Amino acid sequence: MALIEASGLTKKFRQAVKEPGLVGSLKHFFTRQYKDKLAVDHIDLSVEAGESVAYLGPNGAGKSTTIKMLTGILVPTSGTLIVDGLVPHLRRQQNARNIGVVFGQRTTLWWDIPVVESFNLARDIYDIPAKRYKKNLAEFTELLGLAEFMNIPAGKVSLGQRMRADLCMALLHDPKLLYLDEPTIGLDIAVKDSIRKFVRRQVDERGVTVMLTTHDLGDIEDICNRIVIIDKGRIIHDGDLKALKDNYARDRVIHFQLARPPVSMDPICAGLPMCDVESDGLALSVRFDRFKFAAGEIAAAVMDHVEVVDFKIDEPEVEDLIRKVYLGQLSLTAPETAAALEPAVASEA
Amino acid sequence: MRHLRKYLSLAKASLEIIFVYRAGFLVNQIGSIFYVVAMFYLWQVIFLGKAGNLGYFTWPQMKAYLLIAFLLNSLMTWFDEWQMGQDIREGRVATDLARPVDFQVKRFAEAVGPVPFELTSALCIGAIVAVAFGGIAFPSDPAHLALFVLSAALATLLKFAFIYCVSMIAFWTTGMNGIQNARFAIQSIFSGALIPLVFFPDWLRAIASVLPFQSMVSTPALTYLGTMDGPTTALMIGIQVAWAVALLLLGRLVWRSAVKAVTINGG
Repeated sequence: MALIEASGLTKKFRQAVKEPGLVGSLKHFFTRQYKDKLAVDHIDLSVEAGESVAYLGPNGAGKSTTIKMLTGILVPTSGTLIVDGLVPHLRRQQNARNIGVVFGQRTTLWWDIPVVESFNLARDIYDIPAKRYKKNLAEFTELLGLAEFMNIPAGKVSLGQRMRADLCMALLHDPKLLYLDEPTIGLDIAVKDSIRKFVRRQVDERGVTVMLTTHDLGDIEDICNRIVIIDKGRIIHDGDLKALKDNYARDRVIHFQLARPPVSMDPICAGLPMCDVESDGLALSVRFDRFKFAAGEIAAAVMDHVEVVDFKIDEPEVEDLIRKVYLGQLSLTAPETAAALEPAVASEA
Repeated sequence: MRHLRKYLSLAKASLEIIFVYRAGFLVNQIGSIFYVVAMFYLWQVIFLGKAGNLGYFTWPQMKAYLLIAFLLNSLMTWFDEWQMGQDIREGRVATDLARPVDFQVKRFAEAVGPVPFELTSALCIGAIVAVAFGGIAFPSDPAHLALFVLSAALATLLKFAFIYCVSMIAFWTTGMNGIQNARFAIQSIFSGALIPLVFFPDWLRAIASVLPFQSMVSTPALTYLGTMDGPTTALMIGIQVAWAVALLLLGRLVWRSAVKAVTINGG
């Protein structure tokens, strides 16, 4: 059985609807009106032990709500959810022993006491055996470089230091599952990098299963093998990162710098069937499908007709892809998810 | 045993945090010294006018009563609706819920943590005030003192349970400051902290007797003074237990349904 098994998982919130202004407030005081909001709408999700899943979606898509149901903080409205054999909200405390949580926007450390004392509290709360605790703490201190601020209260360390300490805190009790909610938000590049490497190492060496929500695509490429995209409470894509790139990020672009403007574009275009050729003075760019052509073929075809001074190749960007999905310009209908997608499309119409 | 250790550690951390905010604590203490001294002068004037005896209490007994009210009000000052409300509204409770701890017990551990320190500080202030005002009445029977300790502990537990319940309102409203002030005002009157309940008119005393507040100050104070007979003392302590248990359970119930019904913000 998979580590996380969700089927038809749904969370509906009741939101108070209030008209603007004093009159609206008064009306609201006497006759309350509510509107149901489907934050998570019948999602099916199965995550195997050892996977690292990027759980993406625009703001308000239902990411955090899903994570909160997985941690047992929120009770699902309907559907079933089993995490490591437990129903999280019914066995919240037991489930908590299996999971580590990092919220980028808030710390799990005690604000007013030295960082190391928060770790000691974690030891007592999770009942970590002394030996295990010592070993883990020593390892994480080394890998995350925590020694320099171990004795400073969490409220007085920098954001980058705090996040590193938070990661340590989340992993001290050897959780099987690690939920990371925007773990690199607001961090500088060096810290981002060290955090990504650290998390990836936990996946590779300890077999920790990671579920990551983020708006930073660097996190995904460095940590995750699988991408799940949620929008308006529904999963609109679920597949591995490489397949996503292969299926949708097929276009590469070569930009050529020419010695002189081409006399005519026709022979160049004729030599490049099924490619987009754009030319502007000395610049010429060719967009092509990287599965149909090798970059060398394109370059050779161009150089047959014009003299090339320089060139560079743009690789397809996952970022571009996901931006397009968010904006609704690209619908990811991979064959295996196409059936599940239809109702989503219908409800949006 | 295992469980005890984690909550003990939480209590210890909470005590440690009080030392971080020692300036705030100190200012609080100074404020309460002024308050208790003012109460003493006020009641001194009343008692001197009546030749040191108001019927129910002698002046030394009244001084002991006032100091007990002060002592009980000085405990668990770090746990209040405002802070709990903030944690609920800003979603900080999500962090607690992601841990293998019982939310209510954790809050209790954190509320109890600073109590030894608050108690020491209040006893010192109380002793100085007592000496300055010429001494207070002591229990005639050591059993009264033992029962008082029990009753005071129950009063403190009940205070926690009550504030915990009131804090749950934060799931539905924003004005926790006002609610906290209202709770404190009502508690001050009906607990007997300002005026002993025996001085209330009958109808007001009848209302006070069905509310949980008398268990917070009046019952332990009267137990100390030994003004109630044996059966009455037992009954009053029984009422304390009943209120504490009922409100602790109510708090758990409301918490459970609130978490189910309401979004936990943020995160």
